[in-house]
Amino acid sequence: MRTLDQLKQKECGTILSIVDNQLALQLISMGFVIGEKITVDRIAPLNDPIIISCGSNCVCIRKKEATLITVDDE
Amino acid sequence: MSDKIVKNSTSQALRVLLVGNPNTGKSTLFNTLTELNQKVGNFPGVTVDKKSGYLRINDKSVSVTDLPGAYSLSPNSEDEKITSKIVSETENNDVVIAVADATNLSRNLMLVTQLIDKNKTVVLALNMMDLLQKNNQEINIDELSSQLGIRVIPLNAYVGKGIEDLKQAIVSAQKPTKKFIESSEFGSLDDNLIRYKKINQLVDKCIIKKGEDKNSGLTKKIDNILTHKYYGYMIFLSLMFLIFQAIFSWSSYPMEIIENAFLQLGGWLSEVVPQGILSDLIVNGIVAGLSGVVVFVPQIAILFAFIIILEDTGYMARVSFLMDKILRQFGLNGKSIIPLLSSTACAVPAIMSARTINNTKERLITIMVSPLISCSARIPVYTLLIAIAIPKDKTFGMFNLQGLLMMGLYLIGFLAALFAAWIMKIIIKSNEKSTFILEMPIYRMPKWKSVGLNIFSKVKVFLVDAGKIIIAISIVLWGLSSYSPGNRIEKIEEKYSEAIKSQNGNQLLMNQNGEYMNEEELNAHIASEKLEASYAGIIGKTIEPLIQPLGFDWKIGISLVTSFAAREVFVGTMATLYSVGDSDNSTSVREKMIDAKNSKTGEKLYTFATTISLLLFYAFAMQCMATLAVVYRETKSFKWPVIQLVYMGALAYFSSLLAYQLLS
Repeated sequence: MRTLDQLKQKECGTILSIVDNQLALQLISMGFVIGEKITVDRIAPLNDPIIISCGSNCVCIRKKEATLITVDDE
Repeated sequence: MSDKIVKNSTSQALRVLLVGNPNTGKSTLFNTLTELNQKVGNFPGVTVDKKSGYLRINDKSVSVTDLPGAYSLSPNSEDEKITSKIVSETENNDVVIAVADATNLSRNLMLVTQLIDKNKTVVLALNMMDLLQKNNQEINIDELSSQLGIRVIPLNAYVGKGIEDLKQAIVSAQKPTKKFIESSEFGSLDDNLIRYKKINQLVDKCIIKKGEDKNSGLTKKIDNILTHKYYGYMIFLSLMFLIFQAIFSWSSYPMEIIENAFLQLGGWLSEVVPQGILSDLIVNGIVAGLSGVVVFVPQIAILFAFIIILEDTGYMARVSFLMDKILRQFGLNGKSIIPLLSSTACAVPAIMSARTINNTKERLITIMVSPLISCSARIPVYTLLIAIAIPKDKTFGMFNLQGLLMMGLYLIGFLAALFAAWIMKIIIKSNEKSTFILEMPIYRMPKWKSVGLNIFSKVKVFLVDAGKIIIAISIVLWGLSSYSPGNRIEKIEEKYSEAIKSQNGNQLLMNQNGEYMNEEELNAHIASEKLEASYAGIIGKTIEPLIQPLGFDWKIGISLVTSFAAREVFVGTMATLYSVGDSDNSTSVREKMIDAKNSKTGEKLYTFATTISLLLFYAFAMQCMATLAVVYRETKSFKWPVIQLVYMGALAYFSSLLAYQLLS
């Protein structure tokens, strides 16, 4: 088990939990749901933020938020 | 009796609200529905732009309101708060059109099913059907409609397909036939998880999958270049360079036309309206004030055109992605890039666009520092002063020195904004978590008609918001510079009219060349003397000791006072002060200013040191009532505009002081 910020570019995993309730609510409304497959599409040139995708949803989040998301290795 | 009729007609008029996720083509649909019948106002009590318009369905007038994009009814930003508030306040006969992206049905249905469970009269407008077709996918519309219990209209807002069906669906819309889920606690995480699972089952039933998502494949390829660690920044910087080139080269011609048109209008009015206070007020107060606002429309329109295109194509989200880490060091946010860029046209719409920033502190800092970025109103001041400070053909290597100084002023404004942001990041305390979550939409061609309508409505906001304040202040300033305590101004008039009579014509005063002044020169001289005696002149002389260390005299003091409403007024005031009869002739203003002597020392006034000091003052000082008003509106408190006025004033004063003392 790792947190999302530890994933390398193009790596993927399954969302296990989102620690922060508010963040979980916001992410679920943008298509990122516990139990779904998540991919780190791109890491910004300055190493932060990152673009993550889940199905056809694609959002940019900061690494700080990514630490709140735990993922299961595939 | 008449009251009753009005009430009846408003309660019967159909009201339609457009709700949907960002990037679903909601605004394009709004523009397609209402075309030019739209206006921008404010939602009562809140500060978000209310875009509303009218359309006719079966000869009935229907009002349409475009609500800010939202992902759910549990708000995460200022924009989403408004949407959920307005939706919760809808009445029974209001129709909510939920606009959804057909290529991303499951996510879009989160909001749609929340609307259903709130028992709103919902019509689902399934947009982007063309992209769905490209992916070789199909949605079983009837199945979707019966599963959700609402009408579903497939459409392509880009080509206007399905619009007629949507209109008919609006007039015959019903409440949902059933609830989507029975939830114990609406909006909670559990509620949303249950919702999500049920949506997935439903989408599986309704989507007839044949192909795969082609559009996001293309988007990823484009992203490889546009967000590349070197090319990404290079492309962004060259794009900015191109935009500024375009703004300055394309706008000069229309700006000239507008200026001339207002001059002619002023001339015509002064002939038509009987001479006197009224004519003076109209020509020198109102028309001059109006002209000062309208003249910036070309620059603002061009800049907004670029910003809207960059946003509509999806590029702006990538810029935010690239810039977030850098901007974060200064207490800003990747999303701050839009207000910061818009500020180069005008801080008023820029500050309004800061609403998409979820974090209050970052939004506030963005609002506070945006006016430090050099806006288009500073250009005429910069142009005039640079021409005084540096000879035209002086070069530094291969670069024109005047151009370099202009660029330097933009750069210094930008750096000052970052510096101020950094200070505020340290000072302002906030317990709120700083979040930055931004959807990366797929790249898409903008719809040009919609871009045009968006530019139109943004320019309208600028004209109305900035315009009414500038005109009001112009009138006040006109009063300050046309009246004096007691009857000093009348005495000057008497003195000269008697003198002219007794001296047999105009042989009254010598000009600089030792000849008698002609009538025009004499009138200009009288105007200058009147201004000196007026309230504005008194203010200028009163503040002279304060601004002397900056290298300014009382005449510059007057200009500082008159350009408080809007910076560009500086040029006009200088023209009056230096007795240039023909106030639009900036060449002669420049020459007079170069020749001007300090009234105390008798030395040249506009030395290099004074001019640079003055340039810095105009770069930093908060001389814009319209901006202060919009900051008040956006922050809902007097505290922030006052702090802004004071900190920018202090920054201007001390940097001018430093520059003058070092250079002189």
